[in-house]
Amino acid sequence: MRKITFTIKRFDGNKDWLQRYDLPYENGKTLLWALTKIREEQDPTLNFTSACRHAICGSCAIRVNGNSFLTCKTALDEILDTFKTDDLKCEPLGNFDVVRDLVIDWKPKLEKMKVVKPWIIPKESGSPTTGFKQSEQEFQKIASPTDCILCGICASECTQLAMNQEGYLEPFILNRAYRFAVDSRDGAPEEHIRPVLENDLWKCVHCMQCVSQCPKDINLSAEVAYLRQETMKMGETQNLGARHAYAFHDDVKNKGRLNEMTLPMKTEGVVKTAMKRVPFALRMISKGKINPLHMPKEVEGIAGVRKIYEYAKGVDQP
Amino acid sequence: MKYGFFPGCTLESAAEELMISTKKVASALGIELIELEGWTCCGASHIQDVDDFLGVAVNARNIALGEKFDAPILTVCNTCTLMLRTAKDRLDHDENLKDKVNEGLQQANLEYRGTSEVTHLLWALIRDYGLENLRKKVKRPLTGLKVANFYGCHIVRPPKIMGFENHMNPQSMEMVAEVLGAESVEFDQRLACCGFHAVFPAEKEVMGMTRINCLSPKAAGADCLVTPCPLCQMQLDMYQPDAQKGCDENITMPILHLPQLIGLALGFEPEELAINRHIMDAIPTLKKTLTFA
Ligand code: SF4
Ligand code: SF4
Ligand code: FES
Repeated sequence: MRKITFTIKRFDGNKDWLQRYDLPYENGKTLLWALTKIREEQDPTLNFTSACRHAICGSCAIRVNGNSFLTCKTALDEILDTFKTDDLKCEPLGNFDVVRDLVIDWKPKLEKMKVVKPWIIPKESGSPTTGFKQSEQEFQKIASPTDCILCGICASECTQLAMNQEGYLEPFILNRAYRFAVDSRDGAPEEHIRPVLENDLWKCVHCMQCVSQCPKDINLSAEVAYLRQETMKMGETQNLGARHAYAFHDDVKNKGRLNEMTLPMKTEGVVKTAMKRVPFALRMISKGKINPLHMPKEVEGIAGVRKIYEYAKGVDQP
Repeated sequence: MKYGFFPGCTLESAAEELMISTKKVASALGIELIELEGWTCCGASHIQDVDDFLGVAVNARNIALGEKFDAPILTVCNTCTLMLRTAKDRLDHDENLKDKVNEGLQQANLEYRGTSEVTHLLWALIRDYGLENLRKKVKRPLTGLKVANFYGCHIVRPPKIMGFENHMNPQSMEMVAEVLGAESVEFDQRLACCGFHAVFPAEKEVMGMTRINCLSPKAAGADCLVTPCPLCQMQLDMYQPDAQKGCDENITMPILHLPQLIGLALGFEPEELAINRHIMDAIPTLKKTLTFA
């Protein structure tokens, strides 16, 4: 009979260990079914959380073979097929403190979330008594970000967060900031956005883990781009990230292509580049990786590119 | 087989060795690459942070240049692929956006129609060329060479845009390595991010990532790491000496571009593939298992 092996990372509050459970294979089951069966039939001390069983409450996410899943929504067959194995390694979500076994601690995260003021700061045009009018279009802006069920999957897989737990905000917190900043009823988007900027917004590495794993298909990387655009509109254009982004934006317009020689200078400034990057540049030149005399020529059709830039200025962006 | 070739900026500057090796490999395989005339930088996952619409429009222009050939567009860079495919996905699913973008393109005498696919060399080899055909071209099997396949984020994520294979357990790199005769090692960081896009604002974190990304294949016994993305290659190779600083363990790991690995198996010498251009010298390691002229 086919057996599925679950190697589960256990934690009793002091020490952790790996524990192995074998389960006879059954088709058409979910990951949550497997965990429940292990607890009911093999080990009543195994801790995990779940409630709604319908991908609504967000309480059942764990990591399996290095990726995060809602256990109630995820078919066991799908996992076995993805990883082409009958050995599954289960762990609690990454980038969270662990309470017991697969149970993580949400309290510090929710405390942290308060920094972006995840609530509506009402505009004067409405009030708690008279309410607000919102057009369908305005509602559509918040429809998807409001789908977040706080399952923690995006945070579990976030590359920047893993390297920078203190400084960076969990992607679901970025999503909250976004959700309130774009809400037509909110009168103070800056109050949601500025704390994001101050918490290393420009350090997102574009790894696309959050957007790839979110069970609610929230376009978190597009939200990061929006938040960055807004900080620049607020006048925050002199930090390393904004300057780097502008270097690309401007090079395309000037020549059509990136000038790698001037990129560090545009990003970091001439003085810092001279102080910091000289050994790096010499290393590159000696291997023929960069040619300091190479200046990109204007691409064929650059006039057309500039016309597109000019045209884009007049286009209404959502 | 014919493709509209979108090299991307790095192939003209810091990763010229990828231009050299890509062209050698393509011609040895009989794949025709016609460079798109007047292509621009794809925005490298930064342009949308300044102007979202512009990011789409610039890449609609790039794709429109390719559509002139009535052939798919081929890249050798993960991020170029993602930027072009993201624009394509949005244009193909949003008539209103497409109309607006085309109004702009018209001023440059171009039109986005949506007729050309955007693919990456890795996918083209598997889907169009065929691994069995590739196998027939192997002249110097890479027997005994242990490679760590480092995919890089943007060739698999987000799956909605990339979609060639399962983003949680892709196998394309392993399939190609197998055909070339190399042995793929299993290592933790196989699907990790190189951090290149934030190397300026997040220098400390990204250097830490580079360290891990070199140590992980090393611990798994890899002779070299190979990647389908020039940006991953740059981050892991060019910045390796910086990442080494302040780390007691030796992190040395040679980093190859995918076409260089293929080229070696097709019988080219390391210099012909410009492998001598890397900051971390890969040639001594390769010489341990492979024979060169
Ligand atoms: S794209 Fe940015 S926010 Fe999303 S997981 Fe990666 S580093 Fe985190
Ligand atoms: S944004 Fe998506 S992945 Fe993140 S907590 Fe919300 S629902 Fe989960
Ligand atoms: S149990 Fe509620 S989301 Fe899975």
